[in-house]
Amino acid sequence: MTPAPRTLELFYDVLSPYSWLGFEVLCRYKKLWNINLQLRPSLIAAIMKDSGNQPPALLPRKAQYLQNDIRLLGQHIQVPIQLPKDFFSVILEKGSLSAMRFLTAVNLEHPKMLEKVSRELWMRVWSRVRTELWEPAWETLDGVLTLPRTISSILVLPFPLFTGLLVPRLHPLHLLPAVFSSSQDEDISEPKSILAAAEKAGMSTEQAQGLLEKISTPKVKNELRDTTNAACKYGAFGLPVTVAHLDGQTHMLFGSDRMELLAHLLGEKWMGPVPPAINAKI
Amino acid sequence: MTPAPRTLELFYDVLSPYSWLGFEVLCRYKKLWNINLQLRPSLIAAIMKDSGNQPPALLPRKAQYLQNDIRLLGQHIQVPIQLPKDFFSVILEKGSLSAMRFLTAVNLEHPKMLEKVSRELWMRVWSRAAEKAGMSTEQAQGLLEKISTPKVKNELRDTTNAACKYGAFGLPVTVAHLDGQTHMLFGSDRMELLAHLLGEKWMGPVPPAINAKI
Repeated sequence: MTPAPRTLELFYDVLSPYSWLGFEVLCRYKKLWNINLQLRPSLIAAIMKDSGNQPPALLPRKAQYLQNDIRLLGQHIQVPIQLPKDFFSVILEKGSLSAMRFLTAVNLEHPKMLEKVSRELWMRVWSRVRTELWEPAWETLDGVLTLPRTISSILVLPFPLFTGLLVPRLHPLHLLPAVFSSSQDEDISEPKSILAAAEKAGMSTEQAQGLLEKISTPKVKNELRDTTNAACKYGAFGLPVTVAHLDGQTHMLFGSDRMELLAHLLGEKWMGPVPPAINAKI
Repeated sequence: MTPAPRTLELFYDVLSPYSWLGFEVLCRYKKLWNINLQLRPSLIAAIMKDSGNQPPALLPRKAQYLQNDIRLLGQHIQVPIQLPKDFFSVILEKGSLSAMRFLTAVNLEHPKMLEKVSRELWMRVWSRAAEKAGMSTEQAQGLLEKISTPKVKNELRDTTNAACKYGAFGLPVTVAHLDGQTHMLFGSDRMELLAHLLGEKWMGPVPPAINAKI
């Protein structure tokens, strides 16, 4: 009998590009490792303030470095992340309070939707590729054959579809039909943008609207504040923060680049940021 | 016939614990990957100043985090690194100017010794298990006399400036020269990404030696 799954908490904010990278890696591994992944929507701005830290992009050389780092990591980790040139003004001016309150509401009422809605919000801030062209879910062969949007990928790309080795497909832009998307960097502080993200994630308009109406309620505000405070209590000075609960010990790991170390702590196998799906436990 | 090895420059300072971790991983992989590893002793204090950055340990929560992070990474990467409780005062008060000038002199006169002497210095700063690097007393003495010469001072300054030109705001910095492009990677935690850029296989921070090219 397998031992009890270990709990991992992932504190994240959609305003944080590195949070997206860490999120995708952990979502892939939650099917492969004996873990229970708890997503914890948080506010990075509040964590910065509480810890006395500053966003790295405020230092010119770090801002310069981040652009390349995120681009390269996006390619390596296969996440369609693209920092617009003015990415830092996106962070500063728009903020993420509404978006993170919305995700908090999703977590309270429809927790199973949290992963998809989070992903849609990141796509809106940090990607120019529409979600229907990038399918991050691990699909069975059945799924590939029945989803019409992926058929163009079968025709266009030489992927080894029948080997059982399926990876998230990031379609090369030049191979796509003309109906391909334009820029996605839409304002996630706008209610209509949040609604659009929720609907794209599979929520009905009614569900999404209902949750949007709740984002200013004390319950949601308090929950987001409590989650953010929990991250601070763990010692966070930024995001993403992964907290692993192991054998009575708590390990706080900062950054999207501590996943191999996490594997080591869990006694699990690290197979890179894009692990093969065939090892998935059924 | 194998293609020409790709040049990697590793800018480091013995005052930087993460530099030691990155250094050890690259030293292991230089036998396994088709690379030419060039060690570039630099001054982290000068890079901080030039970039306007500050040592992370100045922020209390980062200082707290670093202690655990380095301990866990040391175990995972199998480097006997131990941060003393007052590690930050070690950094602030002692500095590394003499040590890095010494390594610069080693690099100028006995470059094949640079790896071992660097490791020995790290061991002295960050580990309680000091080893001997195998340098004779005369060699060491001669080098100590040279560390304040203009040649050595200039070389250290030039190397540090090179790191700054690559965009460094801290150390370690690994610069990979690939197909006419230059990639600057910051931190000891970009080695798997480096493997991806090189088209080489990442086998974790402690790769098996049996894959070594003979």
